[in-house]
Amino acid sequence: MASYFDEHGCNPLPRGEAPDDYLHFARLILHGGYWQGMQMEYSHLFGEKPPPPASKTFVNTLKTSKVTENAGQCAVCLKEWVKGDFNTLPCKHRFHPSCIIPWLEKTNSCPMCRHELPTDDEDYEEYKRQKKRQSDREAEIKMLHNSMFS
Amino acid sequence: MANIAIQRIKREFKEVIKSDEAQKCAINVELVGDDYRELKGEIAGPPDTPYEGATFHLEIKVPETYPFNPPKVKFLTKIWHPNISSVTGAICLDILKDQWAAAMTLRTVLLSLQALLAAAEPDDPQDAVVARQFKENHSLFLETAQYWSHVHAGASRGNSEFANKVKCLMDMGVGEHQALVALSSCNWDMERAIEQLFS
Repeated sequence: MASYFDEHGCNPLPRGEAPDDYLHFARLILHGGYWQGMQMEYSHLFGEKPPPPASKTFVNTLKTSKVTENAGQCAVCLKEWVKGDFNTLPCKHRFHPSCIIPWLEKTNSCPMCRHELPTDDEDYEEYKRQKKRQSDREAEIKMLHNSMFS
Repeated sequence: MANIAIQRIKREFKEVIKSDEAQKCAINVELVGDDYRELKGEIAGPPDTPYEGATFHLEIKVPETYPFNPPKVKFLTKIWHPNISSVTGAICLDILKDQWAAAMTLRTVLLSLQALLAAAEPDDPQDAVVARQFKENHSLFLETAQYWSHVHAGASRGNSEFANKVKCLMDMGVGEHQALVALSSCNWDMERAIEQLFS
């Protein structure tokens, strides 16, 4: 017979460790979708810290290119582009690998335009999915209204 | 301090000094000591606000991990503003906390603080007493902020009514700043201020 932990897809806590009730409660509010009715944001549930790091696979598969022209500067170290490598994010902003990788290990957005990148944090990804669903729904209702009354 | 932090702060320091805003005396930075770990910032109160004509000094501490973490900034000059503690000078501004981005610089931080003076966020307060006055008695908030700018930050226009009330409390043996705080937080009601000070 499968154990309780196998059935529920979780592991027993090590001896002497207490469950993090606040974290479980925050997850309940998030995954149940209750946060929208309570007018909460991610930071209200999980603390005023930057969004989680960019996903490891994303960082590992970042394309590296060689600098060819010298116009402009890297926005993180503020040095002019000279010979060497740079990484380009999906928003087309460019940074030195040694500048952008430590940043993406901290949080998941472009330092220039806050374009969001995928993360490995399940809670954060669920929050983003629900947010997107909500804005899609609002757009649909608006479209329906416009088609009915115009 | 890590190499990238020092090199970047040096560049940013020059950027601020050479900026158009610095030419117009709206913002400025100075070194404190000979390393770039700590700086002193200066911003002018924006026009058409109760902070007009005043100059505010800021303490800027640059962390080891700069620019991946924000600089620690607080007001050294006493100020009456919903998002700045009237006691400690601590600032409630998202870009100095979780909304920091590595492409922000000393210049953009100083300009953001100047914008914060022009557009307070009373629903996300640092100083609850000030925020309450801002919402419930806005004209008195404007006068109080203006008077604090005059007393602490060199703005020219004073207020003889407020000055008299402060003097009255000082005659009772209360310190000048203590009197100003008590009166400001009691909406300039003399009786309530006295009660707060002596109870």
